[in-house]
Amino acid sequence: MGVVVLAGTRKGLFLLESDEARREWELRGPFLTGWMVFHAVVDPRDGVVHAATNNDVYGASVHRSADRGESWTRAEELGLPEDSGLTLEKAWHVEPGRPGEDGRLWLGAAPGVLFRTDDGGETWAPVDGIVRHETRERWYPGAGGMCCHSIALDPDEPERMYVGISAAGVFRSDDGGETFTPANRGTAADFLPDPFPELGQCVHKLLVHPARPERLWQQNHCGVYRSDDRGESWERLEGNGLPSGFGFPLALDHRDPDAAFVVPEESSENRVTPNGRLGVYRTRDGGASWELLTDGLPQPAWGAVMREGFSSDRLDPAGIYLGTQSGSLFVSPDAGETWLEAASQLPPILSVEAAEWS
Amino acid sequence: MVVVLLPSLLAAEAGGRRRFELEAPTVGEALRALPVANLVFDERGALRPLVNVYVDGVDARDREGLATALTGGEEIRLVAAIAGG
Repeated sequence: MGVVVLAGTRKGLFLLESDEARREWELRGPFLTGWMVFHAVVDPRDGVVHAATNNDVYGASVHRSADRGESWTRAEELGLPEDSGLTLEKAWHVEPGRPGEDGRLWLGAAPGVLFRTDDGGETWAPVDGIVRHETRERWYPGAGGMCCHSIALDPDEPERMYVGISAAGVFRSDDGGETFTPANRGTAADFLPDPFPELGQCVHKLLVHPARPERLWQQNHCGVYRSDDRGESWERLEGNGLPSGFGFPLALDHRDPDAAFVVPEESSENRVTPNGRLGVYRTRDGGASWELLTDGLPQPAWGAVMREGFSSDRLDPAGIYLGTQSGSLFVSPDAGETWLEAASQLPPILSVEAAEWS
Repeated sequence: MVVVLLPSLLAAEAGGRRRFELEAPTVGEALRALPVANLVFDERGALRPLVNVYVDGVDARDREGLATALTGGEEIRLVAAIAGG
């Protein structure tokens, strides 16, 4: 069994491959040259690599490769209907469907839109439940555009899914993606007149825990949060070891629902590592306390980690993967205890995903 | 018959093919016949603003744009405007 890390960069996609020890890494690429790869993922159902790709001249697309990056096919149909008044700006995140949902994947994109494919990525249909959401006029773009960057599927309930959009907030669907309702109670929007509105929150990353799907974790513009009731309510978690509630990336330990990893930044106004210390903050008690993990990471370092630049694998112990804007890919094969630099001097890393392939 | 020449990224998306020969009455029709049409045009069918089209060396925008008539023998060159970083 091998492990692959997909590092999407501003200048194409790189693949890093290793064995289960995850200590020696071999770099391949770049693939998709000329494209900014906002996110790339291996579909665990068939091994196909899907990439959300963007180009300043040629727009947004989704590419897929059935041969581990050697050749790529571009989506045939991807766009927004004219009567929506919207045009596609950026492709942000590809989320494979569940086992048994053959051919189905989801794509989050800007301006705050969601697509679904049922043919493995050849044609993508806009999801009206988000594209025509009744509250859309109250959504505003964050600094990175109005991006739908998080798509979280409940692994046990085929009708339940969540999306995170900046700055519209978290939305949940209980009918397979037909309709979505805001799920932001308890999350702050300090930049709005009402700091706890129904929607308008700037969620930065949203994940559902695969072993306890009623539990969600969220890194927000205004704090780190956990929900134990499918997003009905949220509890703010920082102030107990975290130097800042501001940050973008978030990762989970697939075996331990009480564990989460974040990489905070000093503040919204100064988006660098707090005190120049590049490190991962880990909780193992549901967010009650956080510890800083830096063993093997360079110090000092004012690196920035993008919202998709952080991920975990499903091995035991969990591997944690961190890609920086300065082009380094750091790997921890032991759930954050120690780190090694698997690659350096890559283009700025936008996204990191880990997968197993045989 | 006209010739359409693609820049490298579009050629890569067209399976490595940089040169196309095709029959088309207008510049727009010629571009829509390309296998990379959905990169050249947006979902409204509008030419993406940073794609420049030269017909025998003249910017199509200085002629009649996509409606520029082709009589045969023209060389259409697509060039990505300078952008990005």
